[in-house]
Amino acid sequence: MKLKLDFVSSSTLDGKPKKERINYILSKVKDGSILVMDGVMSPDEELDLIRETMRRVDDGFPGIEVCSLKKKVKGFQLFMERLSDQTAKIQQIFTRRTPDKKLKFGITLVGPAKYIKKIKKNPNSFSVLTEV
Amino acid sequence: MNFGFRNFFDWFLGLFGYRKNIRLGIYGETNVGKTTLANRISLDWTGEEVGKVSEIPHETRTIQKKEKIEIKLNSKKIVLNLLDMPGLATKVDYRTFLKYGLSKKQAKIRAKEATEGIIEAIKWLSNVDAVLAVMDATQDPLTQVNITLLGNLEARKIPVILVANKIDKKKAKPNAIREAFPQYPVVEVSALKGKNMNELYEAIAKYARRGK
Repeated sequence: MKLKLDFVSSSTLDGKPKKERINYILSKVKDGSILVMDGVMSPDEELDLIRETMRRVDDGFPGIEVCSLKKKVKGFQLFMERLSDQTAKIQQIFTRRTPDKKLKFGITLVGPAKYIKKIKKNPNSFSVLTEV
Repeated sequence: MNFGFRNFFDWFLGLFGYRKNIRLGIYGETNVGKTTLANRISLDWTGEEVGKVSEIPHETRTIQKKEKIEIKLNSKKIVLNLLDMPGLATKVDYRTFLKYGLSKKQAKIRAKEATEGIIEAIKWLSNVDAVLAVMDATQDPLTQVNITLLGNLEARKIPVILVANKIDKKKAKPNAIREAFPQYPVVEVSALKGKNMNELYEAIAKYARRGK
């Protein structure tokens, strides 16, 4: 059997509503693709991804394996990231809905648990063991 | 916004000396010893267990509660509502349960209940005052589930104590947990043997009272 790797740029996912972003990821993964994304989700979005995964678990889809490496940002990038977080919080107060945040700097891998057997993570790298 | 009002209400009552019970959530991956720890805490202070322990993953599939556990340390007293959560995971495969002798039908029911338990545990993250994040000291702590859990607790400003469990085992490396998450307090325990439980109670008294 063949294993498909999809590399996704941050511009593909940025600006999409959170729900749509999670749908995009899970539909690809449920089809058997391993997704490598240019960016890192926020902790609450990762939790939403786990929650939505659990709703979709069935006999043929036991779930996902996920791993992310967040880039350590400093200086102007850090300022912009914090500004974006604060803007999102203010937006949430006025609109009473969670804003569609941009992905943070880094890399994320999401794949089907039935093919990814193990992810070994170190602080600055990770390796993935697959079995097809 | 509702939680903001609740926090304000709790703060207001605190002005008059009222202290609410601390809702202490026990979170972590499957089979790290969450229920063993909940049982140990509850047995130490009430003489009763909270739930059943099993080597089969996802034994705890609904939230198990033990309310009004009074912990007395020297002159301090804290009252806990203990919440033993289903184990968090990114996958639940019914085939795993077949290896433990369950029938296919039983395994599928267990898997379905496990996924619902995980969703429930995630939902309850907004309703706890403090968390014991339990990790198996014999396993690699740098998992995405642990990272996601701690990231969410940090974002929600929920105090957390990392519990390095199973230190009675030869393979235990509690320092790996300290190295992986240096910004959090770590208490090494063996919930099964009751080792270092006093240190854990002191940590709960110190950190959990800070609240959200």
